[in-house]
Amino acid sequence: MKAEPKTILNFLSTYYEPIKDLFEAQSKDGYVRKEVVNKILKENESDIFNQLVEYKFLKKLGDDFEIRGVYFKFFEFILNEFKPLLPETIEKYERSISSLFKKIKEGISKDRNILVQRITELYNEVREFSDAVEKNTMRLVAETRELKANVDKIDYKEKVRKASFWIDYYITPLNSILDVTHSQSITNHLFEISQYVNVRRLNFDDEGTRLQFEKLYNFLIQTNDDLMRQSKILTNELLPLIERIRTESLILTGWIEFLKQPYKAPLPKVFKVYRDLPYSNDMYWNAKEYVEQFEGNDEIILEDVALEDFEKWIFNKELYRSKLIQSLPVSSFFEWAGKTLKGEYKAIETDKFFSLTTLLFEEGIILELDPKSDRQLIKTSQMNLRVPKIKITKHGIS
Amino acid sequence: MEFPRYHKDIVTDLLDGKFILATDPKFVELKNSQEFYTSFFKESFGFDVELKSDYAYILSAETNEQLSRDICIFFGLLCYEMDKDGKNFLEEVQYAEFDLDMIDNYFENSSYIDLIQNNNQLKNSENRKQFINTLGRRNILEKNNDKKFSFTPAYKVFMDFAANFAKGKLSAPESEVELVDEN
Repeated sequence: MKAEPKTILNFLSTYYEPIKDLFEAQSKDGYVRKEVVNKILKENESDIFNQLVEYKFLKKLGDDFEIRGVYFKFFEFILNEFKPLLPETIEKYERSISSLFKKIKEGISKDRNILVQRITELYNEVREFSDAVEKNTMRLVAETRELKANVDKIDYKEKVRKASFWIDYYITPLNSILDVTHSQSITNHLFEISQYVNVRRLNFDDEGTRLQFEKLYNFLIQTNDDLMRQSKILTNELLPLIERIRTESLILTGWIEFLKQPYKAPLPKVFKVYRDLPYSNDMYWNAKEYVEQFEGNDEIILEDVALEDFEKWIFNKELYRSKLIQSLPVSSFFEWAGKTLKGEYKAIETDKFFSLTTLLFEEGIILELDPKSDRQLIKTSQMNLRVPKIKITKHGIS
Repeated sequence: MEFPRYHKDIVTDLLDGKFILATDPKFVELKNSQEFYTSFFKESFGFDVELKSDYAYILSAETNEQLSRDICIFFGLLCYEMDKDGKNFLEEVQYAEFDLDMIDNYFENSSYIDLIQNNNQLKNSENRKQFINTLGRRNILEKNNDKKFSFTPAYKVFMDFAANFAKGKLSAPESEVELVDEN
């Protein structure tokens, strides 16, 4: 490159706006299309295409362009806008760090120059790993807060989709990389390395190498603190924040489903006030609340029913008593009564149903009632009756 | 016989359908004497004491279905409208102060207008105000002045209900037997 470093920095500063737009285009698409380059330069009235190529800012990619890695990383850094790395990408550091550490242990008594070189490389790998984790955490914090603030007013389904995406692909895997309680986590490997390095920095016979170990040890201690901090952010801040979005959406789904049929849906139990003392301060309100529960919304129309519509029906107790005895055992008396009437008259008329109920009080009938069991709904011609499940096992006399 | 401190007030409040909140000294007493109150309410009335980390209440086999339904409709609509407004409704219900005008605004512009107009407690501003008072008497919310209020942790009973409802964990309260014509 012919240009002076200062010239390049001046250029970046002078044409900061179009360069930032190019950076954003690449952040979004992974490269910058030729038309986009032309559009950005035209919008900013900057005829700087030649300099962008000359200073190796843009690299040709077929007909399109790409911002060179070194510039892109520089802009990521100064704009604090990092593209999160997938945790599996971060995990590659585990391999390189473990491999270098293994070589250091194996070559500890061999060539000093190589040993020092390996210590330096290990230092660099740990730094890159730590930087990657920090960048990811920063980005995840920004994403999660944005999701929480919901400035774009995205709907709850989309919010949950995004929250689940960040949790499943980034936060949870990153957390397991940093989890000290997990024996295979990188954090634990680093801890193991720092223990080894701690011994070497004290007892290695060559002073220069000892100093390198000392430097690496201090750096590992600092990195460990940094990673613990990142892990805490993930565990204490991000996971609850994002979990809350999930909970919130679950509740909202519940309410939307409930509001579809509020008069048919099950309900949470609310204590029914039984007693009202006339001298209680709340007497008026409690009485009002009590009366209001009977206020139906349906219009009630009372019609006179002509008497001739009814046929006179005489309850033949003996007949139904023997029918009942024949049907024993009966698991639900009222269900039996309903079915018997329906079988005979195609409908269950309330007065007939009540007449049959008197069979329960007949001598010799042995009843069993489980007070905890659910009630049954019997629909008679005039009303819906909720009745207990009464079991009749046998007739005492027979 | 020695009774726990505030015994009369604890029993009166719970029998009045009030939630006793952790901020109330009665709550500490109730928690410390949990065993006593559990058997006291069970033996005396057949009621169950529900003691959570930040509120307590009692339940009986019979439930005030109408009030429960109205409360659920109220919370359901409020949460829905706040979400539509881009707010994190759970945080709002937990921390924010509500204003009756804001409630009116949400309810009057709601797409659930038919449901609202057919509900006696929620159909107009005056009725909603009375309904808010009912919730206040049950300690589900706390009135800060004539127009402003905040929810107490008792709101969780209803949010938990909605979450369970979404998970499909709830079934109809009673088994309904349809009688089949056997002929």
